[in-house]
Amino acid sequence: MENLKERFIEDAFDLIAKLENDLLELDKNREEKSLIEQVFRVMHTLKGVSGMYGFDNVGELTHHLETVYDFIREGRLLITDEIINITFTSIDHIKYLLQDEKNNELSNLQKQSEILQKIVNIISEIEENIKTYKSLKQQTPSLKNTETTRTYYISFKPDSDILERGINALALFEELNILGQTVILPYSNKIPDCQNIEPEKCYLYWDVYLATKSEESLIEEVFIFVQDERQIKKISAENLFELPNFLDEIEPFTRKEENIDEAKINLFIQRISKEKNAIIEKKQTQITSENLEHKIQSIRVSSEKLDVLLNLVSEFITSQAELSLIAEQLENNRLTAVAENLEKLSRQLRENAFSICLIPISEMLVRFQRLVRDLSAELKKEINFVTEGAETELDKTMIDSLADPLMHILRNSIDHGIEFPEIREQKGKPRKGKIIFKAFYSGANVYIQVSDDGSGINLQKVRSTAIRKGFISQDAQLTDKDLITLTFTPGFSTADNISEVSGRGVGMDVVKRKIAEIRGEVTIDTIKDTGTTISIKLPLTLSIVDALWVKIDTSHFLIPLGVVDFCSEIKHNDLKLISNNRIAIEGQLFPFVYLRKEFQIKANLPETERCVIIKYEDIKVALIVDIVIGEHQAVLKPIGEIFNYQDIISGASILGDGDLALVLDTNRLIKNFKNKSAIFK
Amino acid sequence: MKNETVENKNSYLSFKLGNETFAIAVQKVLEVLEIQKITKVPKTPEHIKGVINFRGEILPVIDTRTKFNLPVIEDTTRTVIIVIDVKLNNKSMVLGAIADSVQDVIEIPESTILAVPELGNNYNHNFLIGMFKIKNKFIMILDIDKLFSGEELNLTKN
Repeated sequence: MENLKERFIEDAFDLIAKLENDLLELDKNREEKSLIEQVFRVMHTLKGVSGMYGFDNVGELTHHLETVYDFIREGRLLITDEIINITFTSIDHIKYLLQDEKNNELSNLQKQSEILQKIVNIISEIEENIKTYKSLKQQTPSLKNTETTRTYYISFKPDSDILERGINALALFEELNILGQTVILPYSNKIPDCQNIEPEKCYLYWDVYLATKSEESLIEEVFIFVQDERQIKKISAENLFELPNFLDEIEPFTRKEENIDEAKINLFIQRISKEKNAIIEKKQTQITSENLEHKIQSIRVSSEKLDVLLNLVSEFITSQAELSLIAEQLENNRLTAVAENLEKLSRQLRENAFSICLIPISEMLVRFQRLVRDLSAELKKEINFVTEGAETELDKTMIDSLADPLMHILRNSIDHGIEFPEIREQKGKPRKGKIIFKAFYSGANVYIQVSDDGSGINLQKVRSTAIRKGFISQDAQLTDKDLITLTFTPGFSTADNISEVSGRGVGMDVVKRKIAEIRGEVTIDTIKDTGTTISIKLPLTLSIVDALWVKIDTSHFLIPLGVVDFCSEIKHNDLKLISNNRIAIEGQLFPFVYLRKEFQIKANLPETERCVIIKYEDIKVALIVDIVIGEHQAVLKPIGEIFNYQDIISGASILGDGDLALVLDTNRLIKNFKNKSAIFK
Repeated sequence: MKNETVENKNSYLSFKLGNETFAIAVQKVLEVLEIQKITKVPKTPEHIKGVINFRGEILPVIDTRTKFNLPVIEDTTRTVIIVIDVKLNNKSMVLGAIADSVQDVIEIPESTILAVPELGNNYNHNFLIGMFKIKNKFIMILDIDKLFSGEELNLTKN
């Protein structure tokens, strides 16, 4: 039972997430019928299911909200700010309720009655209006007929002397026509040939199909004088005339001029019913399969299962590397072919498995949109929030770690960045401020940028606050870049008032730390009165990386292929002839890092060394190594917490023969090198 | 079963670094490995020898001799890596520590542990739980949690 309850809560949160999205849309398009329908349906579903699991409060709330949205979708109520706001408040409250298992948190109970009261007020207003509406409506009664239409088969075989008895068959049919829709099929096969016709006799007989709401007794009344010559049989409780091919079905009977007898009718009815059921079934399966298709598109998987899967994939790749090595050594053609194939497959398997753990950033966006909406309303600012690249995917753990920092960055933008509408107008800017949230891939990284067109960071204020708080001295010479870096200091904040929103001075340093934890970097660009852009750079590397395998003496290193541009050679003696701290490779000059020196490896210096040219920010740098062995699928393993103090080795990988290779973080490596040697510039 | 755990608490693995004998609680020892090729990690302090492949996981290896400023002698067939479980900030961390040889598992009841004199020895006595006298020799009992604790290992960036 507990599992079911957990599932329900998960599903409920999913529903609520979609609901919030829809509500945000609805806020902008208040007439959009499909959105109203969706909101109504979610309320309805939540109401129904929450009672089952003991969430009566949720049920109560959603019941009333359902009523409100029912009125809206019937067109009796227009959506107002008040309604949207109370719906959002209710959603937030429901989220709390779903987590308040025992339903006894006082604050929740209080909030519950507050919200409920507001909704009830809205409803009672509507009901007042309805009462007047209803009394108007009662003056025109509706002609709605609730009876159902049935189909009858009437076989009318009058005696030949029917005309002498004064019965006009045509008149009977006219009466039938009043009762409903008819198809009358005459049969003339009993008419004798001309010599034998007696004109006073009737040789015709008819089959009649009648769809009517009237009682069978009424039909009988029509044939009251020819009771023995007619057979009335109800063949369907529904109106068969509504079937598209009903008339086609009947046609053959008329053509054949056969008598329809009981048996044939039964067959006929059976066939028609089957077809009808088939059509209904088809429609139903269409509906369910449409729903099914929608559902089959994604399934829930527990993250533990995913972890197991990823581990297995990693182990698999390590073993495959071993196999490839053995294949190389044994030089058996068939084995080599299989090993190569296995390598290709393992690469695909790895890409596929890891992409399963990737989630599009759009999942995070709802809470940002809510934040912008609520906060800008509270602070009386007008802000347009635009997102780009919402389909960019990130590892789930990264997304979880990014949520808080991004919220903080957004808060800063809204609170400090975007100016009040009046001030913006004074500056010649549009009244509405704009915040752009952008995500995109570049090289081996994912970038997330939050840009606003606000007032920019006030660097003067930063300077004075830093002096006031003792971070720098009065006469310190600092560039703009340095001042921006200061904002990342713990305890720093230029806000005069500590608002609930920001200003507690626990901001950017925490942001920086959290992003560093997922091996990312934060940079700020700001221009006075134009705006501020905060960029977060994250590594795309998950735990398996395609890397270039290189060697220096007996040490193995791996360089992620994403940053590698090309490789070349250089004679060791030529290295001494460097000019301007650049080496010439294939006609171009590159700054370089001599890794033997960096890593203090002295033994076995080769005559000719190799350069690996890698991309660093927007330039190219050469890394000098002994030899380049080739490509390697590196299963990244963490090297241990005691190495946390350094950041140039991002992990280790187990090679085919069991030896270890260290994975280089070239960005950090070059950055550190740059900082140490001013000559690099 | 209960008796065993009580006994385990007093069991210590003794090992030699150069001429000196040390001991650590058996409960902290996960395994003893033969010395093997250690992959050096660049830009690390002297006493961190590098990393090894420990059944598919990466194990950092500390040179305890360097840590204690003892002369490092050539590896012999008796040189081992003792795999230990260190408590760091309430988390478990697995490390390897190099020893010149392992000796025995000995019983050291708590009451027989002697305090370490402040003067007259090379080793920072903060790292020692105490000393134990056996056959006219002294064994230093290591407090490896303290020995490999954060301050020592998590060197700040220069």
